[in-house]
Amino acid sequence: MSKHVLIAEDDTALADLMAKVLSKYNIRVTITYNGKEAVEALEKEVPDLLLLDILMPVLDGHGVMRFIREKSLECPVIVLSNLSDKETRDKCKEMQAQNYFVKNDLDDDDLWPAIEGYLR
Amino acid sequence: MRKTIHSASNGIALKLKFLAKEKEVVRRKLVITADALRISRKTLEKKVLERTKDLEKVRAKDEAILASIGEGLVATDKNGRILLVNKACERLLGWKEGETQGKLLSKVIPMSDSTGKTIPALERLITKTLKDRSTTTTTTTMYYKRKDGTSFPVALTVAPIFIGKDLIGAVKVFRDITKEKEIEKARSEFMSIASHQLRTPLTAIRWVLSSLKRENLTEDQAKLVKTAHETSMNMASTIRRMLMISHLEEDGMEPELEQVVLQRELEKISRLHDAHRQRNGLELALQCPQDLMVRTDKQLLIEILDNLLSNALKYTPRGGKVRMSVTKEKESIRIDVADTGYGIPQEEQKRIPEKFFRASNVASPVEAGTGIGLYMVYNIVRLIGGTISFVSQENKGTTFTLLFPS
Repeated sequence: MSKHVLIAEDDTALADLMAKVLSKYNIRVTITYNGKEAVEALEKEVPDLLLLDILMPVLDGHGVMRFIREKSLECPVIVLSNLSDKETRDKCKEMQAQNYFVKNDLDDDDLWPAIEGYLR
Repeated sequence: MRKTIHSASNGIALKLKFLAKEKEVVRRKLVITADALRISRKTLEKKVLERTKDLEKVRAKDEAILASIGEGLVATDKNGRILLVNKACERLLGWKEGETQGKLLSKVIPMSDSTGKTIPALERLITKTLKDRSTTTTTTTMYYKRKDGTSFPVALTVAPIFIGKDLIGAVKVFRDITKEKEIEKARSEFMSIASHQLRTPLTAIRWVLSSLKRENLTEDQAKLVKTAHETSMNMASTIRRMLMISHLEEDGMEPELEQVVLQRELEKISRLHDAHRQRNGLELALQCPQDLMVRTDKQLLIEILDNLLSNALKYTPRGGKVRMSVTKEKESIRIDVADTGYGIPQEEQKRIPEKFFRASNVASPVEAGTGIGLYMVYNIVRLIGGTISFVSQENKGTTFTLLFPS
């Protein structure tokens, strides 16, 4: 069965683009545009990987991670955020986010291998 | 006997008469002298009065000039006691006329930095001016406290006062820069919003390109995609710099300390410049003790090193060598970025940290350049509690040395 990735990203263009890239690799993708939609999707089905933005309307990324923790869902999380401050990064680590990528950082080339790592 | 008496009395009478005459002469002379004196005194008085009036006029003029200066002005003696303040100074600080005379400047006008920390008297510009006997100007925004306890941002210049060769005190001119700060803030905010808006679409472009790089492409395609990705990464760096500068200039930046594996970051930074470096036939050597960890602000350190490396590669002609080496010293980490490039002309070296400054010898071989990189580097280095210096020789090369606490 193909792997399932949930994307929570309020920038619709970016979310759709990520979905397109991933779907080429025989990966099933669900796109959500805010934290609340992401939580609803998580309630229906726990994905193999969650790609999570932090700054989102209605419910932010922290809220989504709180939900995962409260429900003890087994779901690896890769955070993709514009925020680079240590406080946010620490908070995500505390919530057991597996990887944290700052969108404007220099590590594009590390992003895809990290994603693949969870989908083998 | 009578005759004798008579003639004697005659003699006395004569003498008296003579004396009376003499007295009259003296009296007349005295009168004349007194008159003369009175006249000359009057003239003198008149002259003194005139002179005083003249002096008063000059003084009034000086005072009017002092009072009309829009900038605050304070003069102190050698010990930092206030000799004189102008109207603008009293108005800006809320002191009444004469209230500050003779008091210690540091007591009357407490100064603090952007974090609100009071600057001790010994570290104030005026102390530096009196010690170095030279004019000094603030480079960062300082804040003055008014009599009522409120503060405002100032820009100030302090100059020593000499009479002949003797240093007698210092004079300070300051300006309320609240308005400038507001404009600066608006500009900064605009920069910040603009950068954020540019960032999101760029992220999409970068991710598409970085995922494309992993596809099975022909050699030509791979090259094109790699270049496009690199270009988009450079653009991301530029935007990051814009953002960082606006943060730096807002004084709102606090370093965030974390453990950083130096070698890993160095490799990441050098990878960013690979394509440019290979195109220009430049050699790059990285030397770093394996597993060396430092506790510092990762983003800021990356910014410093990325700038230094990018400069070294940019300002070194084809076939040159660049070396980035890390050494652990007693209580600090030392990073040298050395190149065999154009170098910085001796007479321009002291202008290096200036914003928008570019050395004259590189303008033609390397057109792209804004003169903002090193300005930013010097500011960031200060922020992480480090120091930076360089040695450079024209057409031989430049070595920048960064030292920061480990």
